[in-house]
Amino acid sequence: MFRDVTFGQYYLADSFVHKMDARVKLLLTLLFMVGIFFVKSFVVFGFVAVYLLTVILIARVPLRSVFKSIKGIIVLLVLTAVINILFTKGANDAEQPLWSWSPWNGFTIEIYANGLIKAGKLFLRLVMLVMGSSILTLTTTPVDLTHAVESLLKPLRIIRFPVHEFALIMSLTLSFIPSLIEETDRIIRAQKARGADFDTGGLVKRAKAFVPILIPLLVGGFRRAEELANAMNSRCYEGATKRTCMRVMKLSWRDFVAGFVAVAFFTGVFLLYGMAKKWGDITWLYY
Amino acid sequence: MSRTSRKSKVIPKAQPPQNAAIFAQDLNFTYNPKSPFAKHALADINLTVGKGEFVAIVGHTGSGKTTFVQHLNALIRVQSGNLFVLEQDLAAKKPDLKKLRQNVGMVFQYPEYQLFADTVLADVCFGLKNFGIDKEQRQTMAKDALELVGLEFDKIKDKSPFDLSGGEKRRVALAGVLAMKPQILVLDEPTAGLDPRGKSEVLSLVKKLNVEQGVTVIMVSHDMNEVYENANRVIVFRDGMIAYDASPRELFRLESEIESMNLEVPAMAAFCNELERNGVRIPDKCKTVDEVLAATLWQREARNV
Repeated sequence: MFRDVTFGQYYLADSFVHKMDARVKLLLTLLFMVGIFFVKSFVVFGFVAVYLLTVILIARVPLRSVFKSIKGIIVLLVLTAVINILFTKGANDAEQPLWSWSPWNGFTIEIYANGLIKAGKLFLRLVMLVMGSSILTLTTTPVDLTHAVESLLKPLRIIRFPVHEFALIMSLTLSFIPSLIEETDRIIRAQKARGADFDTGGLVKRAKAFVPILIPLLVGGFRRAEELANAMNSRCYEGATKRTCMRVMKLSWRDFVAGFVAVAFFTGVFLLYGMAKKWGDITWLYY
Repeated sequence: MSRTSRKSKVIPKAQPPQNAAIFAQDLNFTYNPKSPFAKHALADINLTVGKGEFVAIVGHTGSGKTTFVQHLNALIRVQSGNLFVLEQDLAAKKPDLKKLRQNVGMVFQYPEYQLFADTVLADVCFGLKNFGIDKEQRQTMAKDALELVGLEFDKIKDKSPFDLSGGEKRRVALAGVLAMKPQILVLDEPTAGLDPRGKSEVLSLVKKLNVEQGVTVIMVSHDMNEVYENANRVIVFRDGMIAYDASPRELFRLESEIESMNLEVPAMAAFCNELERNGVRIPDKCKTVDEVLAATLWQREARNV
């Protein structure tokens, strides 16, 4: 039942992007995510799409697995698109609706071209956002990612934020997920063998049917946590004090090249955004 | 002793022989079919298990034994081939799962990890309730099952299953399966993680069910000693195929083959083999130290006379 849930979608390949420092990848992904909100026109969306495709090609990850990540937000995509189309009014009073329908007095559904454009842009923005971040998870192992987070959060130590503990919690969470999925699978099978039925009945009945799964899972979770705590204590684990890292992260020429290209690209995006704001009547920047 | 062939033939659907608890014909199973991760877990399994047999299934991790065993309860559905369990056709589109699962009890590895209810009684009754048995009858069936596994019903029924010791938990979990009075009992390493005493208690319980109540037992195990002592028949899985299907005595005579499969020759079997090499004939039914000793002494006396 839960077999299909793959977590950590790391795709093993030998590429420029895979070899980059995880910290740089994380920062550039953040830059991308911020940058995409400054894209206001379809033309610039085109530029970003080309940029995204280039990165995917360099990263040597199959396009299919990048698109797969969109599957998870399909509901969100459809919902936002529908809401935008239905509730967006015209750009100005002069704009006539493309289509309108009034099922009863005082209530009309009107669809404007403006709404369609807005919905389309939001759609593109969300899709690219997810695709861009999936490149990060496809090319970086969860372990590297936690190291990167830990390293990037280090400055927060000044305000006594427990950076190391935070990273530890993150990496433990990640490492527990596969074994919990396996355990869930096993418990489900065991209860099914005792005649449990998860697939029929109403909502309440189905929700109740999950009790025999959740309780053993919870008990198992506590058991594992306790075992792990004991194992760490018996190895004299002390947290962040003078702890070195097995894998030392180093910046290489790749990171500088990639960083330079990405920063240059998004400077361009920000510039175009500024221009569109200033001279709003440049149509290709607006639409 | 039979070695199954690799050739796959299209055989018209056969009816299971009379008195067969399990009848598999060209059973195949592939995990993640049509994907780069496809894994052929079962290849052309042909097998008949008669009612009342005690069959041990051994083999390496990933040899397909767990996959096969899960077919018996329709936890994994038949992909290709035929499988009949207690005259029920599992390759059919909609087999009666309730009826099947009530008759085929499945004890998973570490079954105590499936306990969930507030009280021992409620947990043992979980299966019975799912199979629609009414409340009063549930109570008596649960009582029988708990006493069968050697727990005192009145003392334990209202306790929380999480307050029990490891051995007691396992027995409660076992009772939860046995309460349904299954005709076939499938056990996946039932003794893993138990102390020697707990092991022998579980095994003698299983043996008792097999001998006294005629329950067909399918036991997956890594412990060759317990396989040797308890099973009437051993099936060795290798790479998704049945490599050997023989009585324990016959099988463990093939010491070099057993070791080449990274399995262990049980101590008693090795001892008997050594005796046989020295000219003592050990009848196949002699398995315990006492029996073997008796046979040896008897032969010595017969020779001396």
